[in-house]
Amino acid sequence: MISFLDVLDRAANGPIVSVKDYDMKRFIPKVQEMVKKYKIKCDPKNPSPWDDDLADRVYQAAMDLYVDVGTYCTDTGRVIQFTRDEVEQAAYECPKEAYFGEGPDRVVFRGRKPDSPEIPHCHVGSGTDTTEEVALKMVEAYGRITKAKTVSIPSVTWVSHLRTSNASPLETLAGIYAMRVGREGLRRAGRPGMGIINHMSSCAAGVSTIAASHPEFGARPSDGWLVAPHAELKINYSSLNQVAFLTSWGANIGQEAGPILGGYAGGPEGTAVVTTAYAFHGILVVRATYHLTYPIQMIPVCSTTPNMLWVMSTSSQAINRNLRVPYYALGYASAGSATKQYFYEAAAYLCAIQSSGMGIEDVHPNKAVLTNGALPIDSEFTCAFGHGMAGITRKEANTIILKLLDMYLDKIKDAPKGKTVEQTYDLTTMKPKEELVALYNEAVKELKNVGVSLK
Amino acid sequence: MEGDAVEASQLAKAAVEKIDPLELVNEGMTPAMKAVGEKFGCGEIYLPEMLQATEAWNEAMKILKPKILEKGKKLEKAGTVVIGTVQTDIHEIGKNIVASLMTASGFEVYDVGVDVPAAKFVERAEEVQADIIAASAIMTTTMPFQKDLIDYLKANGIRNKYLIMVGGGVVNQEWANRVGADGYGELASDAVNVAKSLMTERRKK
Repeated sequence: MISFLDVLDRAANGPIVSVKDYDMKRFIPKVQEMVKKYKIKCDPKNPSPWDDDLADRVYQAAMDLYVDVGTYCTDTGRVIQFTRDEVEQAAYECPKEAYFGEGPDRVVFRGRKPDSPEIPHCHVGSGTDTTEEVALKMVEAYGRITKAKTVSIPSVTWVSHLRTSNASPLETLAGIYAMRVGREGLRRAGRPGMGIINHMSSCAAGVSTIAASHPEFGARPSDGWLVAPHAELKINYSSLNQVAFLTSWGANIGQEAGPILGGYAGGPEGTAVVTTAYAFHGILVVRATYHLTYPIQMIPVCSTTPNMLWVMSTSSQAINRNLRVPYYALGYASAGSATKQYFYEAAAYLCAIQSSGMGIEDVHPNKAVLTNGALPIDSEFTCAFGHGMAGITRKEANTIILKLLDMYLDKIKDAPKGKTVEQTYDLTTMKPKEELVALYNEAVKELKNVGVSLK
Repeated sequence: MEGDAVEASQLAKAAVEKIDPLELVNEGMTPAMKAVGEKFGCGEIYLPEMLQATEAWNEAMKILKPKILEKGKKLEKAGTVVIGTVQTDIHEIGKNIVASLMTASGFEVYDVGVDVPAAKFVERAEEVQADIIAASAIMTTTMPFQKDLIDYLKANGIRNKYLIMVGGGVVNQEWANRVGADGYGELASDAVNVAKSLMTERRKK
């Protein structure tokens, strides 16, 4: 596999293209061409297809796309381009497992094939906006979920009375605070070695991420750092600086990407191809040891529509049939936490990705916009689903998803906003209030009726 | 409507010899762009087709606009908008969609790009005598730069010269009210409707 220095060389000396030409003359037409060439067609009536040939065509389309368009470096205005041989070699040689955490809390995360009987990697927590007052308790609650293998810690966007802003010193301070809270919360939960794999959720800029990653504040190379692109297939020096720092430290790097259905990738077919192509970007440019994908539909803003479920299922199958690297997926429900609709949507999403070989993470409620709006009960649900539905096939998933869609699809537009942790939990004990427990039990009963069993 | 910029330019060159350029815009291109906007709104087409149509519009306008001015006529426009993504934020899709839909709805749109400091928004708005400045922010950590823009306008004594619109995935009406923006749209299509209403109000004054 070519070295990171070669990647930096190409970022500095690759072909010069304007960003507009990259989008309009290279990326968009090539995606459209690949969809036609490989005869990729979305079937929203079967959101979890079990067609291996379709999955492999999506993979080949993604490979062709990436060989043609590469990754665009926005700071240099150059394309980081790779030959087909380089992409194929990287796909063959890239890390196939990632190790997270320390001591008894150390875990290994491996890729799975579609229809695999294995329990998926269960990742919990959320990097969504959380206030200082509850952040520590939230992490402690995540850590108490014994089925959870790794955790995301909250994003803190206020320091004292000051709101943080991107790349500002306040962002660095927020990152340090969140790091300390994360480690302390897990220590209180009795799992001090648990891997935190969403660093730095409180920092968007490379400089604040690197500053807050000083080991003095609790970060360890056995945690994981997510390095984001810009839509689509673009990267800047801020992100490449993170990669330079993390590869030098020997830390786990996670490639994260959320292609937008309706954005530059176009419709569901193009979005499935682009979602898959990010795997190559992750392996080669970001030097990823693990991968996170979270495509989302532009209108409505969520990932639980039939088209989005098809995108997730198809791209997950393409990746996990052909690459089998540690990959997990994050969905966005239209409904907020503490609503039955949230659990229906979450179950549909988890069915699609688990049966397609992905690791699973809490489906984020209400488009992840409500501060303190992601609840520990969502994480418990994720893990119970992962264990209870181990071995679910794509075909079985399809049947269940269709029943679930009947329960929520027409409610997506005016989905309930959900409730916050303050409204639904006893903050002293971090136990859910009776009302939430009753709602959860009712939702679980209804889910059982359509074939979703929890464990 | 096919979004072919080269063909749009060629067709404009050929048509302008036979048809009044203002009529070409008002009777041909504007309804076509409106249809494109509607198709996008109902999910029939996606951003690539929308951007390709906007490119075609811009190329054709390069031919037609000077001809309209030569004839001493004026293009009817819904308003002039300077649009961009705020400082340190490099997300552009939402901003591009709003810009395209505004173009489709008859606004003259000046896109100042991404990672735009307040001063650059205002500089461009002064240059083109904008009615509206629209600032997009996609991250909670870049939303404060929308407030910075308004503070900058206030500090320079020109806050009331412009209508300020804010938007972006994490922005909501509450934030828009808190920072003192004039308008906010949850969806791109909402933003266009809000811009139209704001312009109607402004013209009444």
